[in-house]
Amino acid sequence: MLRHLFTLIWNRKKSNFLLISEIFFSFLVLFGVLSFGLYNYHNYTKPLGFAYDNVWSLSLRSASDSMAQNLLVQDQLMQRVRSFPEVEHAAFSSDNTPFSFSTMNSPLSYGNVKNLHANMYEVEDNYKEVFQLDVPQGRWFGPQDKTSLHQPIVINRMLKEQLFGKEEALGKLLPVDSSHYQVVGVADYFRAGSEYGAEEPAFFTRINRETTEEPRTWGNLLLRLKPGTGVAFEAKMMKELGSIAKGWTMEVTTLEKMRQNKSKMTLVPLLALGLVCGFLVFNVALGLFGVLWYNINRRYSEIGLRRAIGASSGQIRNQFVGEVLVIATFGLLLGLLLAVQFPLLDVFQLSPVIYWQSIGLAAVLIFLLAAVCALYPSQQAAKIYPAVALHEE
Amino acid sequence: MLKNYIKIAWAVLQRRKFFTFISLFGISFTLMVLMVVTSLFDHVFGPQMPERETDRLLFVNMLKEETKEGYSSSGPPSYYFLDRYVKKLETPEKVSINSVFITVNSYVNNKKLALDLKHTDQTFWEILDFEFLEGRAISQQEVENSSHVAVINQHTRTQYFGAKEALGQPIEVNQVKYKVIGVVKDVSVLRLNSYADVWVPITLKRNEFKGPSLRGSFFAILQAKKGGSLTEMKEEYARMMTQVEPSNPKEKASLYSFPDTILETFARTLLGKGKDSNVAMFYSLISLAAFLFMLLPTINLVNINISRILERSSEIGVRKAFGASSWVIIGQFVVENVFLTLLGGVLGFLLAAGALALINDSGVIVYADLGLNLRVFAWGLLLCLVFGLISGVYPAFKMSRLHAVQALKGGSK
Repeated sequence: MLRHLFTLIWNRKKSNFLLISEIFFSFLVLFGVLSFGLYNYHNYTKPLGFAYDNVWSLSLRSASDSMAQNLLVQDQLMQRVRSFPEVEHAAFSSDNTPFSFSTMNSPLSYGNVKNLHANMYEVEDNYKEVFQLDVPQGRWFGPQDKTSLHQPIVINRMLKEQLFGKEEALGKLLPVDSSHYQVVGVADYFRAGSEYGAEEPAFFTRINRETTEEPRTWGNLLLRLKPGTGVAFEAKMMKELGSIAKGWTMEVTTLEKMRQNKSKMTLVPLLALGLVCGFLVFNVALGLFGVLWYNINRRYSEIGLRRAIGASSGQIRNQFVGEVLVIATFGLLLGLLLAVQFPLLDVFQLSPVIYWQSIGLAAVLIFLLAAVCALYPSQQAAKIYPAVALHEE
Repeated sequence: MLKNYIKIAWAVLQRRKFFTFISLFGISFTLMVLMVVTSLFDHVFGPQMPERETDRLLFVNMLKEETKEGYSSSGPPSYYFLDRYVKKLETPEKVSINSVFITVNSYVNNKKLALDLKHTDQTFWEILDFEFLEGRAISQQEVENSSHVAVINQHTRTQYFGAKEALGQPIEVNQVKYKVIGVVKDVSVLRLNSYADVWVPITLKRNEFKGPSLRGSFFAILQAKKGGSLTEMKEEYARMMTQVEPSNPKEKASLYSFPDTILETFARTLLGKGKDSNVAMFYSLISLAAFLFMLLPTINLVNINISRILERSSEIGVRKAFGASSWVIIGQFVVENVFLTLLGGVLGFLLAAGALALINDSGVIVYADLGLNLRVFAWGLLLCLVFGLISGVYPAFKMSRLHAVQALKGGSK
């Protein structure tokens, strides 16, 4: 039966060519959009590794050229911020806070791994409390690091895997410029870019504001607030801080707002692509439906004859649905030839699982689409009375 | 003759409503998507308020320093660089220096407003064509005196002042008070070079004017003389770049900075890795995407057209038997198809207008003012016709080759 169907379609490959190419292109479109969607979904299901609710980010740009003056203002700002009862924890950090648009990269080497680019976050000790980070191995920064010989760093799970593999990471020294980093702790997940971003290797270095060599001002003050603190406090805080840091540019925003902005960057294109893809597929479905309907009507006499020599209406229906599925299979096979190149050649460096999943999903969707479009016209064909059909002929 | 064809086409359209619906749906939705995309494109790169004379404007947004060891850093240039080198150029008629906008907070009645603040010189207002609803631009005098004056946009005006008078009133932004001297129409956030909520004199940012660093937080806009060419400005800029001394002479850094049109800026950051603008490549990528997108609906339409025309084989048979040539028949079907596509086109325009209104209201793009202008309309119409021809010619050609006898018998194989 199945072989028979294949020969049937193969013999009419010329007249089915357009349908086959339509299926082929729809498959590719679905494959592309699904890969993009699944990639983001896979990332989304992984834990972020930090808590961002009730966290505010206060970005600071100093006004004066005098470093001594700026440092003084910076210390006063921190003191004042900590004295508010609404503020639970506060920490300075470099500009690349979670969900921000800036990144900092630094190459790390160890053993066979050379120049692994990892995200670098410069943070103060309180950063752990602000974001409620989890450090299962080793420890977070503490006052004992003030006097340590090497600059301490805390790395995330991903960096440990890529740099050390199965080896123990704690206590390892990593060369950097003229000195060394020493790994003091391994944090769990830390995906600070966006909820839809892939997990990347990252490490934290400690901000030491008491150091006398090369003092710096920091671009961001991160605050964890008591739940329910609102804009009234924000206005009051900004007014007071404004009187301390005269002429500085200050902007406060919630991490929640930043998260939404960042996820818009992924969701808007995804939504636009999804809409366009949905429209294309719907268009194809309508076309398929129309063409099948028409084709089946043309084969009126054939159906009548088959019915007259004893084919049941179920058999007729199955034959037509079968034919359509075979056409879909031809289109799919062509599409598959192209699509498998993606996981095999490792295009765009996505994990092959995502490609295989989207190939499978796209194939299922195409078959479903074809079957649904074929069902109604076939049903109509199956209802034809042999006498009427043969009489018309 | 043509009138007859159109009458026939109308009759055919009404005969099989479902098929007509499929064709019209395909055409109108495809066109809608294309129109929305061209409108977005126009919104970002085309001549729009306030950058109306785009063929006379070039923008400097980036400066890249690259050391021999391969360490590179790029970002907006500094005031020092723009003032010392770019302002001295001779081919441009005017050069404006303005700052990258920064977001700052303002609080009114327990409500927070996040406002984007931009520092501008006076030339900025001469080069760009802002639509003033009230008041005036920042004057030369006010820039020189670093007066605390501000031009705000319409949105900020309603948010901050509500129904009250805004002109001459103080507005507090980032804990500093400015006097409002003008209100302009909102500028879309996608017009990076002119967008802001509040514009204030550049001299208020004086502390960033000093220092020999080439990188900073400023943009420049170059306006060519009337009838002057952009290429001349680019050439002079390139000559000037060879004279620039790196900020740290020990490092022997190579410097890259280009005056670009808006499209070139975009193509450069997206494809050119900062050195080539790659506009040609950008256009080919866009055309490829558009082609691929239109391929599916076109195949679909051809498919449906074949079925529809096959249905009319007896009609073709009769016409052939009475002596109509293949060309006449092809002509008829092409006219019918173009008619159908134009109809779909009109529907597409209506749909596109709706979709654009939706995008404008949704706030996805801040202060977006997407609209169907005449250029976009013309593009859509052209696409319509190409579309109609592609989907009409092949089936018509196929049918016209039928022999009269076969056609009369009822169809082709």
